[in-house]
Amino acid sequence: MAELKGAPLRRTRFLQAQIDEFLDVVSQATLAYEAGVADYLQHGWTDAVEEKSTKIREYENQGDRLRSGIGTALYTEMLLPDTVGDVLGLLGALDHLLDVLKTNIVMLRVERPAFPPELHAGVREMLRAACETLEQTVLASRSYFRDPATARDHHHKIHFYENEAENTGVRVMEAIYASELPLAEKRQLREQVMRIDRLADMADDAGDELAIYAVKRSL
Amino acid sequence: MDVAFFVFLSSGLFLGWSLGANDAANVFGTAVGSRMVRFRTAVVLCGVFVLVGAVVGGSGTTAGLGELGSITALGGAFTVALAAGLTVYGMTVVGLPVSTTQAIVGAIVGWNWFSHSHTDLGALSRIAATWVASPLLGAAFAWVLYHLVRFAVRVTKPHLLILDQVLRVGLIVAGILGAYSLGANNIANVVGVFVPAAPVGYTALGPVVLSGEQRLFALGGMAIAVGTMFSRPVMMTVGRSLMTLNPAGGWVVVAAQSLVLFVFSSSALEGLLLRLGLPTIPLVPVSSSQAVVGAVVGVALVRGLKGLRQIQWSVLRNIGAGWVLTPVIAAAVSFVALYIVQNVFDQQVVGPALQATAGLP
Repeated sequence: MAELKGAPLRRTRFLQAQIDEFLDVVSQATLAYEAGVADYLQHGWTDAVEEKSTKIREYENQGDRLRSGIGTALYTEMLLPDTVGDVLGLLGALDHLLDVLKTNIVMLRVERPAFPPELHAGVREMLRAACETLEQTVLASRSYFRDPATARDHHHKIHFYENEAENTGVRVMEAIYASELPLAEKRQLREQVMRIDRLADMADDAGDELAIYAVKRSL
Repeated sequence: MDVAFFVFLSSGLFLGWSLGANDAANVFGTAVGSRMVRFRTAVVLCGVFVLVGAVVGGSGTTAGLGELGSITALGGAFTVALAAGLTVYGMTVVGLPVSTTQAIVGAIVGWNWFSHSHTDLGALSRIAATWVASPLLGAAFAWVLYHLVRFAVRVTKPHLLILDQVLRVGLIVAGILGAYSLGANNIANVVGVFVPAAPVGYTALGPVVLSGEQRLFALGGMAIAVGTMFSRPVMMTVGRSLMTLNPAGGWVVVAAQSLVLFVFSSSALEGLLLRLGLPTIPLVPVSSSQAVVGAVVGVALVRGLKGLRQIQWSVLRNIGAGWVLTPVIAAAVSFVALYIVQNVFDQQVVGPALQATAGLP
């Protein structure tokens, strides 16, 4: 936080860069997660997937550090007195998404579930929708800081992709339970599908809160 | 200035103190209440610029108020200021919104009534018209400023943190203008009635040369500045009772109110309007609270029906009732107080010439 000791405008610019960096970290972790799981489906737990997993853990640590620094700076510098609660609430929700991304990739590494090839397309579709929900949440968060009126445009997309992820997830789980796999494997695969769906759910909840924050900020 | 003058002036200084404690909130209340500006910073800036405004620009409104009645006896000036102060205090105690401007106008009319002096109805109606005009003007300024702010934010799309910094600076600049205008406009309320009895001659304070009137204004300005130190509770609650404002709305309200006080106290603006052949704005003291109320309604109007629904209309009704009651109560209190001071304390409250004309003892 040494950089914060300077002219007010320089401090503001530094903090602005920190918030942008935090949002970049969430976005990059999402991309790494999507690429890692897609790679896992195709080739199993390879070095490339391991590399993505390591990256996601690094992003999660970086996100924690950034969020903590931003929160401390906002309070000690008495910045955004009117909206500090909303900003920290938003960053907290995004940080929680980073935690879940890390947990999901760690559990994938631990359990290494064997998805039958006929399920791959469905899982990939669901994964795409869930990650798009996160991406739209990050975009809506960027809008909140610069142009809250446009946050609403992203909000309806968040809902759309969350619904897509949920519906595809239900179809995949139906296919899992319709298969000849042993019950233990069915439950393991279902658990993995639900983990991906949980990501979309949490991003959707963050989007709902963000929509309220944006209304509060509108002039 | 001798000791007796200071004793008589004490009621005016008390009025100045109460004006500082109450009206500083109109200037910096939104900024301090929303924690955008520290209370200490607000007090220092408000105190300094109220004093500067009073000394530099206080003569215009004092002359405007003087048209209503020229109180030539120090005892009368003391009693009139005391009556206005007691009215402000009493109405604040019972929870009615009150304006120092209206209290002093009512008290002067009370003095005219007591001394059988003629009340210039033209001057009175000009002053009373500003009680309607200042909230309307406040609403108009706020409406225009809010549209401008909204347009600027939509076009430039500043980051939330940058907007926060800009608003902080804006609140300080608007607060400084507001404090200067408050001093220039409202100093007439505080010491205006003492001007006819003010000592003559000039005093040099280093490079600054002050007339007797300006020394009086400086004392009144200091009383207002001291009053601002006690304004914290009012600052923390101002604005919230009528309508909740975001920092941008708060800035608009302070800026609009400052502009209203400025146009009713600026001799330079009056000169400019005269040169352009336009009708002038009377230089009379106006209530900063009335201007603030008008500005808040102006912000609500921008938001349309949704904004109007946010206004606490019952609070506005009480404010309106206070505006009607204040001058009437102040006039009655002034009349009774003048009677007591003259007949119980045996003080001269009316100048000798007028006393003879009116047939007073």
